[in-house]
Order: sequence, then structure tokens, then C-alpha cells
Amino acid sequence: MAFRKRNIALSCSGAGTDPNLPSSPPSPSSAQTPPGVRPSPIDGRPTTSTGTPSLDSILAGHAGLPLGNSILIGETGTTDYAGALLRFYAAEGVVQGHTVHVVGMTEAWGRELPGLVVGREEERREKGEKMKIAWRYESMGQFVSERGSSGVKRAPLVAASETSQPGLEESTVFCHIFDLAKRLTFPVSTAINYIPIPPNPTSSPFIPILQNLQHQLSSSPHHRIHRVVIPSMLSPALYPPHSPHPHSILQFLHAFRALLRAYPTRLTALLTIPLSLYPRTSGVVRWMEILSDGVFELLPFPHNPFDPLSTSGAATRGEERPQGLFMVHKVPVWNERGGAGGGLGEDLAFTVSRRKFLVQNFSLPPIEGDREAQEGAAAAGGSGIPNKTGLEF
Amino acid sequence: MPPSSRIPPLLHPYIKLPKHDSITLTTSVLGASANWLLVRFICEALSAAPGRGVQNGTQDGLVENTETEGEGEDLAVVLVSWMREWEFWRGEARKGCGLDLVRLAKEGRFVFVDGLSKLYLPEMSGSSTHTPTTVPLPAQTILPVRTPGRIGPIPNRAQPSPQPQTEKAKDPGRFYLTSPDLKLLKDTIRTAISSLSSRKTLLILDSPDALLSTAASPTLTSFTLSSTLLALHDISSHILIHLSADTPLLSPSSPPLPLELDSQAFLVKVAHITERVLSCRVLDTGVARDVSGVLRCTVRDGGYFEGEGGGELEGKEMLYLVKGDGSVKVFERGAGEGH
Repeated sequence: MAFRKRNIALSCSGAGTDPNLPSSPPSPSSAQTPPGVRPSPIDGRPTTSTGTPSLDSILAGHAGLPLGNSILIGETGTTDYAGALLRFYAAEGVVQGHTVHVVGMTEAWGRELPGLVVGREEERREKGEKMKIAWRYESMGQFVSERGSSGVKRAPLVAASETSQPGLEESTVFCHIFDLAKRLTFPVSTAINYIPIPPNPTSSPFIPILQNLQHQLSSSPHHRIHRVVIPSMLSPALYPPHSPHPHSILQFLHAFRALLRAYPTRLTALLTIPLSLYPRTSGVVRWMEILSDGVFELLPFPHNPFDPLSTSGAATRGEERPQGLFMVHKVPVWNERGGAGGGLGEDLAFTVSRRKFLVQNFSLPPIEGDREAQEGAAAAGGSGIPNKTGLEF
Repeated sequence: MPPSSRIPPLLHPYIKLPKHDSITLTTSVLGASANWLLVRFICEALSAAPGRGVQNGTQDGLVENTETEGEGEDLAVVLVSWMREWEFWRGEARKGCGLDLVRLAKEGRFVFVDGLSKLYLPEMSGSSTHTPTTVPLPAQTILPVRTPGRIGPIPNRAQPSPQPQTEKAKDPGRFYLTSPDLKLLKDTIRTAISSLSSRKTLLILDSPDALLSTAASPTLTSFTLSSTLLALHDISSHILIHLSADTPLLSPSSPPLPLELDSQAFLVKVAHITERVLSCRVLDTGVARDVSGVLRCTVRDGGYFEGEGGGELEGKEMLYLVKGDGSVKVFERGAGEGH
């Protein structure tokens, strides 16, 4: 037992988040749980971050992706917003020292992972900005306030529960901030496992992938967390033509589900599928969704700089305009037990900017033309609309 | 607290197992899973402890014939799941109904057949953790001797058939399906049922349509699967089937795919065989905080099922809410809030 704990500390410092840090003293939390894992506030099951705070927050209150679960993200159109989610997810895994497996991509994909935000000024600005949000939810406790948060610990509750050492605080960050415009510098001793798709035209391409994953999982130490990234599943650019056959892809997903369940405290996965090629109305895609634990769909708005439609998403002028709708079809754990589909019951939209992938409530703004019409009417004087004095009698 | 009180009263007449043999179908869609309903069925069957006759007698004054026969009437449950693992069912049964499935498995009243973990996942070649199967439990052969009076199943138990590759050395009441072969399925379930201590069994098949969609074999079609189902009905008095009834699986796309045709054919066939259908679906009007979904209960005419007052049970549509602690509220439309 003691031997095991020492191992954890070693891997912590080896794949540490910050190379400047001296070998961090084993904090009570990191001694019990691997880095980047915390218990769910609902039922205590271990969860890990998807690298996107607002995505963590919509996972049915678990404030993270429960280990042993997978998420399937479908995207319509030719955009690659889901790819940003995958990159945040993989980058978070690299920073936390998890083993990241990428299926069907080469090292070029790994080199484009977003880098950590480290600048002090920016951090502080971010902190102040987040603080405003956090105040509103302060009474709701630690986890809710962490939703809108990311890199830095700000809630007094959290700070009080941890010790006041700055280095320790840094090491217990659950979800980091990444910058899509920067490149991630890999900590020493981390390597992404790139699993190639065998171009064999006859046999199923998925069996070697499964065997590779199984081998990696069984040969790694027991506390090691693994993340599997499968971008653009079934895309003809990557997969051989017979892979979309139900017995090929569905057998793989069934076995993959069994693998996730066989390692309920060590494995998570994020998968994306191009919905334009494989529409949700087909039986195969529906079965893929049934076999996944969480199902989200991205519906990007058509982009046209001259189109007023694209500006209408933001509720107020100050907000960034969303780039598309974010549909929640199934949430891990919660749906499996019989809970309601959407979980939240609100329309959601996503906004991708350099620094974040934000999923937030979506509401149609008041029609902007109207205000102009009103202003015009007011400028025209009291002739059109009777003003207050005219109404008095 | 008796576990049967965990079942909502409005739902109870629909999940009560009838005196005669029966097949029940539950369906679910992507956003509204019926796992909670399956757990309620397990609860209803297993909470019928030896004291069941007394309970029911006081509930609805009429004395039922079967219960006067004695305690031998208790049910056992065989749960075959192709989609969900043992840990999930164990946790849900404990949270939702207060049932200890591990204890019940030891008592010989519950068997879990795992169709997920070893169906397609290849065995690790290098690992030595999976020791080859040892001799089947010697306790199995001892058990029938101690319980005289049950003559029927003994020959079955006496010859533990070697062909179902079951590893039950570690935990009692656990079987594994290692291939989508229907014959193996039949044999495994037969072995599972013969290992139980009760005469009557409730066989729960969770998502057998997963077999239909994943299997590459041309012999596995909706025909063979439904005939397997009927063959299983011979050895198990009650059968509960859980299938997915999503729209894409029921209305084939314009060039219909074999997968869609097969699942449609199977679902329709099963729905015609069964005497009652309980289907979960999402709320038509969108997502609400206080409603998880709609439960539609349909029963066959002709007095197969008894209602509350002794009359015939009629079909009904209700709303349900699954709460975070695992409890379920079932209510009529418009009666959700304020209770």
C-alpha cells in the first residue's frame, strides 16, 4: 500500500503541471485520488474534467465526466467545432498526466493541442471577470461556483478547505484554461498514444484498435487515468469503406462500452461523428448513440457576415454571439438511471473563442429593428405616438 | 420498510405479475430509459418474500388461489443484460428498491447473465488474471438433496452442462455470454434457471435487440431471435423484454437498411406476442424539471390483468419523475406539483 502511494507522488512530479514546481509535497487529496480526478458532488463517483468548464457543468450535476463513461458528439456541417472540444479534452489529459490515446490521427494532431494560459495579467483579468460570476452563486457552494471557473481557485470556500500553500493550490486544479492560439508544450514523460487505423480492406479496422487499448490499459499502473479520443468516427477520409457496417462499428462500440465498464475508475472517452454523412435518422447512428453514455449535438449557425441572423444569437449587445446550438440528447449516468433527456430543460448554444468553449443558455434577443423604429417614432415628435402629457386628462 | 412500498401505487397494478404465464414488453427511447422500470419489476418479483400471501390478502380482500398453495410460490429472477453491467444493476436495485442482489444471488433467487463484458471484447491474451474455468461449484450438486419435494428441476441440475462457458467460480449467480450465438444464449439461460431455487422464474431480457444490430451472422435475424424467445418461454414462466423503440429504428430510411428492418420486425412481433406493453418516452412538449417522461401502459383485453377494484385493468398514460436518490414518482397528468 505504501509502495503504491509513493508511486502516485512520483508520477505526479514526473508529469507535473508545472516544471518549475519543486517536487510537490503529497497533498491529502492527491494521495488518495489521481491528479485531475475528484468525487462527484452528487454521489461521490470519481469524475474528471473534459477540459471545458461549461461542458463539465452540464453533465447532470456531476461537475465532470464520470470515469468509465463516454460521450459522443455529433456535428452537422463542415465546421470542426467538436474538434475544439476534443483538443481541450486531450490537452487537459496531457496536463493532468493522464495517458491520452488518439485514434486515427497522426502526431500533427497532437502538436496542435492548445497551450496553457500562464500569463499572470491575463489570469488576473480572467479571475476578476470570473469573480463577478462567482459572486452570484457563492451561496450555492463550492462546486456550482467552480462551474464558471477554470484555472484559478477563487471561491473562499475552496481556499479555506485547502492549505494556503500556493504550490499546492496549483497542483489541485481540476480544469485548466487553454488557448487555442498557443501550442501546448508537452511535459517530459508524457506521450500521446496514436493508434493508427489499419487500412486493411477486408477485416474490421476496429479490432486492432481495441486490442491496442486493452494492452495499454492492462500494462499501465493501476492509478493511471486514460483518455480515449476518437475524432470524426467513420469519416471516409480516415476509415475504410466497410467500417460503417453495423456489425463492424456497433460491435466495436459494444466492446468499447464493455471496456469502459471494465475500468470504471480509469477510463473516459470522447468521440465525434460527422452527422452530415451519417444522419441521426439512420438506425446505425441511433444505435451508436444508445451505446454511448452521453450524446451531444452541435448545430452551427450558417455563417454570413452580412446576414442579420448571425448577430441575433446574442441576448444583449455585450455578449459574444453564439456560433451554434448545442443539443443535449443524453447525459452520462443520469439518463441511464431514467432521468429526463435534456437534463436542464433549456436551449443551449455554444460559443468558441480563443480561450474557451462556452456552452450557455440561448435566448432570442428582442428584435433590434424595433428599437430603431421606436427611436424614430420618438424623434418624429408627439405626432405619431401620444406622449405622457397628451395622455393626461 | 418492505421493499414493495417503493413501487408507486399508481404503477403497481401494471407491473404486478399475473397468476398465469406472461410476456411483457417495455420500450424506451434515447432520452427516456426504462431501466428504472426494470428495477421495479425485479423489486416486485423479489420482494414477494414468503410473507407475500399475507400482504396481498390484506391489500385487496380477495384471496388468490395461488397464494394459498404456500410459500413455494416465490419467484426468482434471471436478468440477462446486453447493455448494462452488474455494478449498475446492483447499485440501482439497492438505491431504488433496497434490494441486496448479492445476498439474493447467494440465496439462489437471482442470477445475472452478463451479455456486455465478454460478448465482443476480446480476451486479453497475455494477462493471467483469467484463470481457466474450474469445475462448476460442487454446491450445485449438493443443493437439491437438501430440498426435497422439488423433483422437476433436479435432473437439470445434476448434469451441469459444460458447453455454456460460464465462470461462476468467483461469484455465485453470475454467468457470461461470450458470443452472440443464440444456442449459447439458450443453454446459458437454461443453466441459470436450473441453478435457481424457485419453481417460477421471471426472465428479464435487457436489450436483446443489441444482438440483432451488432451480430454479423446471417442466422441471427428477427425470426430466429423471436423463436428463441418463445423457446425460452417454455422454461420460464414470466418474460420481460426491454427494447429500444426510437423513431429511426421503427421507420426505416428511404433505402431501408437491414438493421432497421430487422429491429422494426422484431419489435412489432414481440409487441404482438406480449400481453402488456409499458413504453417510456420523452415528454412531447419538451423537457421539464418535474417530469422525466411519459409512461404508456397498454394491456391486452380479455381480463388478463386485474385492476385495483377487481375489475379489468385498462390502459393508461402516466407521467413519471426519477429523482436523484433513485426514487420514482408516478402521477397522472396535471398532478405533478405540490405533492
